[in-house]
Amino acid sequence: MLAVYRTLLYLYPTQHRRQFGEEMFAVFQDVWAEKKSFISQTMTSIREFTGLLKGAFREHLRDVAGAEGEVSLSPWRFTMHNGFRFPKATAVLMTLILAGVVVAIKKGEDIANSLPQVSEPVAPIHPMHLTLLSPIVVLFVGFWAAGLIGGTVLFAVRRSKMSA
Amino acid sequence: MSFSDMSSQAMMEQLPLTEPVLLILLSLAGQPRHGYSILKDVERMSDGRVVLSTGTLYGALRRLLDDEWIERFEERETSRGRQAYRLTPQGRRNLQLEVNRMRQLTRLASLRAVKES
Repeated sequence: MLAVYRTLLYLYPTQHRRQFGEEMFAVFQDVWAEKKSFISQTMTSIREFTGLLKGAFREHLRDVAGAEGEVSLSPWRFTMHNGFRFPKATAVLMTLILAGVVVAIKKGEDIANSLPQVSEPVAPIHPMHLTLLSPIVVLFVGFWAAGLIGGTVLFAVRRSKMSA
Repeated sequence: MSFSDMSSQAMMEQLPLTEPVLLILLSLAGQPRHGYSILKDVERMSDGRVVLSTGTLYGALRRLLDDEWIERFEERETSRGRQAYRLTPQGRRNLQLEVNRMRQLTRLASLRAVKES
């Protein structure tokens, strides 16, 4: 069991392992030594290995997002750190982009209305192309939106870390 | 805004503390302790309700060290030369703030509970 614990410590980032690895192992040795019954050993194993997995995940997350963007893990939910602040610059930028998109749509409608409605189709469109087109567009828009959200969150987390 | 105002505001942003962190700080409030001793003391203080894993304990200790609420030193009295932890003055102040906040909350809850009954 001690060997398994020592191996699982490698899940932690190197810096954390160097700083606390030996100490954690020594404490686990003490904890394990006092557990004599099968039930208490099983309970301890479950608690320790769950704690290690959660701890390692949290430390890696902290490496990516930084201390201020750290999230606290409860068993069932993610809670943003109290110190998290959404940067004002991002909110202003998002508002400007939204305004730009709305203006562009309005301009496009105006241009479309000003043109005569006599244009011929450029080429025949096969029905299969039409059925393929919408899933591709939906997929593209989905990936774009996911990327945008992820990028915005990371940006916000890093900005809040810098401004803290 | 003065430096002390900013400092206390930063402290308040970290409150309320989670129960494990509060118990760890309370454990260190009496005397410096090493990791195993903190685990046992937290278990004892909570009557066995809060049993920390080493992963949870050292995650909390690392964050408290980073925020300078606690400090780490080598325990010289023991032959193993273990690392021990103690509260910093800032950590003690923050713990006091949290205790005051909880005391106020408890007083309010008692008053309301009396009114309701």
